[in-house]
Amino acid sequence: MNAPVPPAAASGPDRAAAFAIRKKRVKLLGLTVDDCIKSFFGGNALVSIVVLTLITYFLVREGAGFFGQNRQNLQVYRQAGLEYVDFIRVQADDHTALTRYLSDLRLRSLRHLTETKGRSLDDANAALAPFDEFAGKFGDAVEPVRGIVSELTEVATAIKTKFIVNEDKKEERRQLLAEGKKTEADAVAITPVDFAAELKPLLGALPAYKDANREFTAKLTAVLAAPPALPAPELEQRLQRFTALARDYLATFPAVERNLEAWDFRQPVPATQSFTAFIFGRQWLTASFWQDWYGIIPLFVGSLLVSLVALTLAVPLGVGAAIYINQIASLREQKLVKPAIEFIAAIPSVVLGFFGIAVLGQALRLLSQQSWLSWVPGFPYSERLNILTAGCLLALIAVPTIFTLAEDALNNVPRAFKEASFALGASRLQTTLKIIVPASLSGIISAVLLGLGRVIGETMVVLLCAGNRIAIPDFTQGLAFVTEPVHTMTGIIAQEMGEVVRGSIHYRALFMVGLVLFVVSLLINFAAQKIVRRYRISIG
Amino acid sequence: MVTSRSAAMDSPASAPVPGQAASAAAPGRPLRTAVQPASAAPAVAAAPAGATLIDIRNLDFFYGESQALKDISLAIEDHKVTAFIGPSGCGKSTLLRCLNRMNDLIEGTRVARGTIKIHGVDIYQDDVDVIELRKRVGMVFQKSNPFPKSIYENITYGLRLQGVKDKARLDEIVEKALRGAALWDEVKDRLDASGLGLSGGQQQRLCIARAIAVEPEVILMDEPCSALDPVATAKIEELIQELRTRYTIVIVTHNMQQAARCSDRTAFFYLGKLIEYADTRDIFTNPGNPQTEAYVSGRFG
Repeated sequence: MNAPVPPAAASGPDRAAAFAIRKKRVKLLGLTVDDCIKSFFGGNALVSIVVLTLITYFLVREGAGFFGQNRQNLQVYRQAGLEYVDFIRVQADDHTALTRYLSDLRLRSLRHLTETKGRSLDDANAALAPFDEFAGKFGDAVEPVRGIVSELTEVATAIKTKFIVNEDKKEERRQLLAEGKKTEADAVAITPVDFAAELKPLLGALPAYKDANREFTAKLTAVLAAPPALPAPELEQRLQRFTALARDYLATFPAVERNLEAWDFRQPVPATQSFTAFIFGRQWLTASFWQDWYGIIPLFVGSLLVSLVALTLAVPLGVGAAIYINQIASLREQKLVKPAIEFIAAIPSVVLGFFGIAVLGQALRLLSQQSWLSWVPGFPYSERLNILTAGCLLALIAVPTIFTLAEDALNNVPRAFKEASFALGASRLQTTLKIIVPASLSGIISAVLLGLGRVIGETMVVLLCAGNRIAIPDFTQGLAFVTEPVHTMTGIIAQEMGEVVRGSIHYRALFMVGLVLFVVSLLINFAAQKIVRRYRISIG
Repeated sequence: MVTSRSAAMDSPASAPVPGQAASAAAPGRPLRTAVQPASAAPAVAAAPAGATLIDIRNLDFFYGESQALKDISLAIEDHKVTAFIGPSGCGKSTLLRCLNRMNDLIEGTRVARGTIKIHGVDIYQDDVDVIELRKRVGMVFQKSNPFPKSIYENITYGLRLQGVKDKARLDEIVEKALRGAALWDEVKDRLDASGLGLSGGQQQRLCIARAIAVEPEVILMDEPCSALDPVATAKIEELIQELRTRYTIVIVTHNMQQAARCSDRTAFFYLGKLIEYADTRDIFTNPGNPQTEAYVSGRFG
């Protein structure tokens, strides 16, 4: 009935005593060592999440007030009549754009006469006299309207100043009250601005404007009726295009008058406009005597263009280098090139920016002025700091990121694929292009996306080398836009954050720009992660 | 040490070298070619089973400093299944990979001495086009490795490399290759599905189909069943029996029953040396070397 016991075994109780698998655990505050290690690493992970949440919260909190303030900003724009004046100003500015077209046409005609026909400068100028008269008349026609604009500008500015002074006084009083100085607070005299009364001279100018406009229209029509002759059919065509544009311009006049008549300062600014004026606003104009605009488009486009130029350069370089190092290079080359490329990432970006100003910008401009390169769009150019310069340097920053990640992706392709391809009689190039690269494509794409994230967030280089002109580049000349200076989202924050008053609308606008930047980076990283995950599944 | 009872080995004169003219034309090593016996050169296709196709002579092979193959001499016969057996690390896979120069892909490997001739042409000569060689000598790997592409594209890959673009011809070859690999009935309705979605055994047969689609003369199989279950293994073995009528097959295996079941000739390797090479029946029933006997009877390895 006894269970079979191996004969060599010792008797029961001794064996049980020797079977010492139990151990006393050291406890500290009720935690074992394992628990401590676990909570240490868990805590670290938690800290990073908390920090990220705090950053997001801070960005949103500081930026959120922007929309309210911007709405008020737009409200004042309307109430003080600035909007009213701008209707007419836009009309005058459009006219200026047309006269610029005419001066360009004159330059072309002069060049045609002196260079193609070989006439002397005086002779050519004499031949263009009828054209000059035409252009002169066209240019002078705007005078009465311009006169009205400058008069009304003064009126509107005065109203706005009055309003702002009042606001300042209100603020002063609030502070005094907060400090408990009631008598002094009462001494601050506040007379609310009576917009209706103040705007009377502005609205009263409508008949005068209508007269001026009628005169303007008549003059333009008369001028356009007798266009001068130009020496070449190509130039004639341009003149015809001009007259067509001018006629379109004339056709907008009734709309301006209608706008002026329908305008009412009491109409409230809708809340959405404060938002759309930021997201779709084409102007970023601060500390202006007339009106501040906070539109992110020029900055966003600037960041985007610089990044795109950088990627256009960095993707072939980074991915090409990764393919070379991973597939073709010998062990010696790998040991030499890999650290070299990764070292680029160690160069401080301010040093790169300095290099961009002192060397690259200069060199590129010199290159652009070579006559044998004049076929390149945008060449020659004179702005040393522009999209191209900044893009070239950012490419240098993106290359290590793209190279390292793309090389990892290529490395992750199972060796078996490569062997199978070779065993079927594929050359090294065929194997690389048809098997290795397609199999690692999603990894490469995510490498490029992360490179983009790196580039779009880069500040120092763009601040130093992008030219910092807040304007949307001119896309009408095709690729020539790369030689124009721009400003970027990162650059504007770095440049203006130090100068703004805390809590002001400008300050909050900068935070909104930061928030947009944050969201863009987040989306890029998210997309990169998504793509990598899908890639892992497909390889199995 | 080498106990060889192969007729071909005993008498080199009986090893016909069909490509003798070609090899003489190529700048070969005069010493070696002089030793080569001149003999009749039958046409390739008409070569009778048993004629030598691959002739390995005195091969020494190194991974860096360590010698993996020591003085191997072996004649692989046309249209037969030759099995390489031996314990792990004995050099059988290395030798297999020498036959289509897959070892070139590993840095630091070299053939220090000896020749491998296929149709009399030394494949380690400088003027040999490795890509052409690998088209003629196909390979199936231990772990099935279909490309992350569709079944159709997996099979047409090698053909497209050779510039075949005609869709009708590709379709025809795909069907033929899949039928040849006994996979057609299972996948004919989903040729556009990913090759990675097949089961392990199907994947391996897909790899065989991929290899035979480019019409090689020799198929090298590196433990093709080691990752498969018995049912899938049986299918592959059945397939090998069919393929032997059209191709010369060299198979490396750890599974002695497999070598006994499906090969005509068996070579036993131990520590980088060829111990014994003979007809499979003899190796398993009447081995000439005590080491071979110990191994095949399961006493070591």
